[in-house]
Amino acid sequence: MIWETSLLIGVLFAVASFLMLRASFVRILFGFLLLTHAANLFVLAMSGSPAGKEAPVLLKKGVAFVDPLPQALVLTAIVIGLGVAAYLVVLLYRIFLDQRTTNLRDLFDPDRRPPREDGRP
Amino acid sequence: MTGNLVILPLLLPMATALALLLIGRSRFWRRWLTGVSALAQLAVALGFIGATYQRPPLVLAVGGWAAPFGITLVIDLLTAIMLSLAAFTALAVTVFGFAETPVRRIHPLRGPLVQFLVTGINLSFCTADLFNLFVGFEVMLIASYGLLTLEADDWDIRQAFPYLAINLFGSTLFLVGAGFAYSIFGSLNFAQIAQLGPSLAGDPRVTVLGLLFLLVFGIKSGLFPLYYWLPNSYPILPTPVAALYAGMLTKVGVYVLIRVFGQVLPPDLTLVHQCLAWMAGITMILAVLGAVSRNYIRGILSFHILSQIGYMAMAVGFYTEYAFTAAIFYIIHHIIVKASLFLVGGTVGALNDTDDLDHTGGLWKATPMLGVVFLLQALSLAGIPPLSGFWGKYMIILEGARLGEWVLVGCALLAGVLTLFSMLKIWLAAFWRNADEVGATIDLDDRRWRGMTAVIATMTVVSLGIGLGAEWIIRLAAEASRQLLDRGAYIQTILGGGS
Repeated sequence: MIWETSLLIGVLFAVASFLMLRASFVRILFGFLLLTHAANLFVLAMSGSPAGKEAPVLLKKGVAFVDPLPQALVLTAIVIGLGVAAYLVVLLYRIFLDQRTTNLRDLFDPDRRPPREDGRP
Repeated sequence: MTGNLVILPLLLPMATALALLLIGRSRFWRRWLTGVSALAQLAVALGFIGATYQRPPLVLAVGGWAAPFGITLVIDLLTAIMLSLAAFTALAVTVFGFAETPVRRIHPLRGPLVQFLVTGINLSFCTADLFNLFVGFEVMLIASYGLLTLEADDWDIRQAFPYLAINLFGSTLFLVGAGFAYSIFGSLNFAQIAQLGPSLAGDPRVTVLGLLFLLVFGIKSGLFPLYYWLPNSYPILPTPVAALYAGMLTKVGVYVLIRVFGQVLPPDLTLVHQCLAWMAGITMILAVLGAVSRNYIRGILSFHILSQIGYMAMAVGFYTEYAFTAAIFYIIHHIIVKASLFLVGGTVGALNDTDDLDHTGGLWKATPMLGVVFLLQALSLAGIPPLSGFWGKYMIILEGARLGEWVLVGCALLAGVLTLFSMLKIWLAAFWRNADEVGATIDLDDRRWRGMTAVIATMTVVSLGIGLGAEWIIRLAAEASRQLLDRGAYIQTILGGGS
C-alpha cells in the first residue's frame, strides 16, 4: 500500500512540475491543482501504512490505530488549498480579460505596451 | 494569567479587521478605530519586550491542551522585538496612508486586509509549531494576494501572477516539509523537535529536511535564485502598502530562517548553513546590480530589499551567537529604514507626479526637509557610520572576517559600495538637479506632502536613535540571540520539567 502511494505521489509531482513549466497559464493552474494534491497525499502518507490498523473512533483493546494527526493537518491544508485555488482562477480570468492572452511569453514580453492610453483593452 | 495575554497580538488586529468590515462607511470612525488599534498593538508589543527581557518566554497552551499535543503560542524576546517592529511599521504606514489619500479614495477593503495581513505576520512570529507556522504564512499570504490585486490597474495586474505562483509553490513545498518533519521527528512542536535533534545527529534525512526548508524560506525571504517575483510586484502596490510589504514580508522569511535553523533544527547542519551563506552572498551582488539597472525609485528600492536580505541571511549562515546578534540588529535597522525609504519614494511620486528618474528633479530646493530625511536613510542603508546600517554591516563583516570567509566579506563590502551608488542616483536625479533641466513639475500646492514628510521624519528620528543608541539595541539583540540559542531553557519552559 505504501509503495503504491509513494509511486502515485511521485507521478503527481512529476506531472505537476511538467505542467507548471509550460507557457500557458491555464496549464500552470492545472499544475498547481495537481501539486496541492500531491502535497496533501504526501502528508497523509506520513501516518504510515494503514494495513491492519483501525480508525481511531472506537477504543478497542489490542488494536492499533492509524495516526490521526496527519489527517487533521491535511484537512486544514485542503481548505487553504481550495481557497487559494479559487483566488488563482479568478485572478487568471481577470488577467485574461484585461490582457487578452493566456501565454506568459506574450504577457511579459518587454516590448508589450498598454493597449490604449487609459490602459483598457 | 500573563500567559493568556500572548493571544493579544493575534486578537487585536483580527478584531480590528472584523470591526472595520462591520463599521460601514463612516470615515471618521474607520480612521479613529484603525489609529487607536495600531497604537494599542504597538503598546502591547513594547510591553512584551519588557516582559521577556532577561526573563523566560511567555507560553500559552491554547485551549488548555499542553505542549506538545496542543497548539502552543510562545513569545520570547526575539518574537517581542519582531511584534514591535510590525506594529510600528503598521502604525507608520497607516498614518501615512491617512495623509496621502483622502479616505473616500482609499478602497474600503484596504484597512481590513492590512489588519488581516498583520494577524498573519504576528501568528508567524508567535507560533511554536511547524504546521501553525504554515497556517500563519497562509493567512499572511492570502491577505497579501488580496492587497496586491485590490488597487492594481488592468495593466499592472499581470505582475501579480509571478508573485502568486512562486508563493503558492513555496507554500506547497512548506506543507511537504512539515509532513516530512513529522515523519522524522514524530512531532511538529518546535521544542520537541529541538529536544529530539541530538539523537538524530548525522541522519541524512535531517539534512534533506534542512535543504527543503532552506528552499521554502529562501522563496519567502527572496534569496537567489528565488527572488524573481519580488522586484516587479512590489512597485504595483499603493505606496503605504508597498512600504508595509517592503518592511515586513521578506523579514518574516528571515525571522523564520533565524528561528528554524537557530533554534529548532539540529545545529550540526553545516552543509545547509554554508549553502545559506553562499546564496546570501550571491543575492547581495546580483540584487544590487539589479538595483543599479532600474530607473524608477520604487524599482530600485525593491531590489535593495533583496540585497539587504542577503546580509541578514549571511549572518544566519555564519551560525554563531555573535552572528545571530548581528542579524537581529540588522532586522531592527532594516525594517524601519526600508519602509521609510519606500514612503520617500511615494512622496517624490506625489510631488513630481512620477517616480521615473528621467522626469524628476528640483526637490532639494522645494522641500529640503524631505531631502535631509532621504539622505539620512539612504546613507544608513549603504552603511555610513554612525547611522544604524553601519553597525549591522560592521558586525556581520567582522564575524565573516573572524571565520575567514573572505569571499563573502568581499561580496558584502562590494554590495555596500553599489548600494551607495544607486542611492546617489536617486539623490542626484530627484533632489539635486534643477527641475527645469528635465522639465519636471513640482506640485507644492498639493498639501498632502507635509503630513507625508512628517511621518517619514518621525521614522528617521527612530532610525537615527537606533544608530546613535546602538549600544542598547545591540544589548537587546544579544539577549534575544542568547535566548534563541539556549535550547535547554526553551525546551524546559515549553515542555515542562517532566519530559
